[in-house]
Amino acid sequence: MELNIHELLTEDTVFLPLEVGTKEEVIARMTEGLKLSGSVTDGVQYVSDVLAREATGSTGIGFGVAIPHGKSAGVVKPGLAVARMAGPTDWDSLDETPVSIVFLIAVPKENVGNEHLQILVALSRKLIHDDFRQSLLDAGSKQEIIDILKNM
Amino acid sequence: MKKLLAVTACPTGIAHTYMAAESLQKAAGEKNVPIKVETRGAVGVENELSAAEIAEAHAIIIAADTDVDEARFAGKPIVKVAVAQGIKIPGQLIEQALALQASAGTAAPQAQVAEGSDGKRKQPVFYKHLMTGVSHMLPLVVAGGLLIALSFFKLNPDEGTFLANLLKIGGAAMGLMVPILAAFIAFSIGGKPALAPGLVGGMLSTQLGAGFLGGILAGFLAGYVAKWLIQNIKLPRSMEGLKPLLIVPFLSVLVVGLLMVYVIGTPIKSLMDALTVWLEGIGSGNKIMLGAILGGMMALDMGGPFNKIAYTFAVGLLGSGVYGPMAAVMAAGMTPPLGIWLATVLAPKKFTQEEREAGKVASILGLSFITEGAIPFGAADPFRIIPAFMIGSGLTGALSMVFDVTLRAPHGGIFVLLVPNAISPVFMYLIAIAIGTVVTALLVNLFKKKTTQL
Repeated sequence: MELNIHELLTEDTVFLPLEVGTKEEVIARMTEGLKLSGSVTDGVQYVSDVLAREATGSTGIGFGVAIPHGKSAGVVKPGLAVARMAGPTDWDSLDETPVSIVFLIAVPKENVGNEHLQILVALSRKLIHDDFRQSLLDAGSKQEIIDILKNM
Repeated sequence: MKKLLAVTACPTGIAHTYMAAESLQKAAGEKNVPIKVETRGAVGVENELSAAEIAEAHAIIIAADTDVDEARFAGKPIVKVAVAQGIKIPGQLIEQALALQASAGTAAPQAQVAEGSDGKRKQPVFYKHLMTGVSHMLPLVVAGGLLIALSFFKLNPDEGTFLANLLKIGGAAMGLMVPILAAFIAFSIGGKPALAPGLVGGMLSTQLGAGFLGGILAGFLAGYVAKWLIQNIKLPRSMEGLKPLLIVPFLSVLVVGLLMVYVIGTPIKSLMDALTVWLEGIGSGNKIMLGAILGGMMALDMGGPFNKIAYTFAVGLLGSGVYGPMAAVMAAGMTPPLGIWLATVLAPKKFTQEEREAGKVASILGLSFITEGAIPFGAADPFRIIPAFMIGSGLTGALSMVFDVTLRAPHGGIFVLLVPNAISPVFMYLIAIAIGTVVTALLVNLFKKKTTQL
């Protein structure tokens, strides 16, 4: 299915590659992209909400993927940022392996139309599948990553 | 083929819920295990599990970091883990769920029956709830009934004596019968939150004189009220914790209590008043008719308003030196448990092992004029069994009047024979009881379709 992913994901929010850092650094850098795309208006609030979520349990879901996310008052419209890490990055993952792909999800505190949420839901489901993750790892350009997500 | 169900949920309801769902589906697919996963996320509840699917399922996997209402899975084996485990070790969870057996939980017997029967025919849900209530009530009836029967070794034992205390203990057990019946019917419908309103509704049914039929009503009421409150009360997240601790218990007990007192209690009182007047109107004019009516009333609700009216009416007449109706009432009160015992002896295949055992106890309770001994059977299948009881008891009551039997003691069952001259003529009285017992048993076996699980 073709999803209207453009509203969620722009070239500003694709990081290819993103330099290795701490979890906090990675989230902060990716948040800058979400601010550029107009999803996040209050970066400080949003990062603190994401980290608060992170504190309740790592969002490193295994298979080298992390999906930090926050439902935050600092978000005006749903947004998605994706980063392929330059090297293995520690994320306290469930399977204790470092992550190489990070999806940062921004959702406004007030519920919005389901359409955008549906995209995030579809993405979450897709991430479980090896071939999907591999295609993200193999992608050579930002546009290629956007295309993969568009056609998921 | 064992089917599995799963529920996934997480606080944000965006990512983990769906990853865990996908993970479980993928792992199940690899193992060729049919699975359905309900997701409770930001886009609402999707793929909601139906009652029929739950009934059919082998086990349920709950992978959630938020509270998932488990009441609907009562009796089903559950593997409960954090949502992350659903993503991380889905295969292991599926193996674990497949290896589980239905626990000794409440609804387990039904679940096993549903599995064991060759067809996919399931008991209507109404009977499932009834059976849950009846099976929990049964031990109280057995213990209470036998203790009361034992206390009859001496009629009207003196206060404080051992026999009087046995009577007291038995009475306590019998007193809990209807509350427990109502409580577990409610539990079967609404889970743990329904227990409290069920108990209170059952207690009120006893206090209002509505008997076990009132208790059944209270149980269904409490179950659905509690279920509705849980599903429909929405609170801000900061107060969500108050819901199970304060709001649901308070409101469910209040609502069920008020309904019992005003909607059930008031009509029962007017019904009882009207019946008393009506019975007095019949008087001794048509004594056979009176015997049949009193007998039928004894069996209709076995301790409920009809039974009480008939009994109180007969006891009242003792004071005026009219002893016939008392004999009819006692005989009619003995035939339901005696009849059910005979039915289990005549057609054991129509009854489960448990019912056959309960039937043996019922024989002793019947001989002791503890009509309640037949309640578990009546409550389990009221529309078939109670008419059989009523016809048998009505016949016995009428025969007792035809034979001009008189009884001067208000209770005691067969033990009254130990009291000189309390019953006469004894032989005709026993004939009346025997005929009613046989007719009850034959009708029970005629009406009863197949084995109902206790």
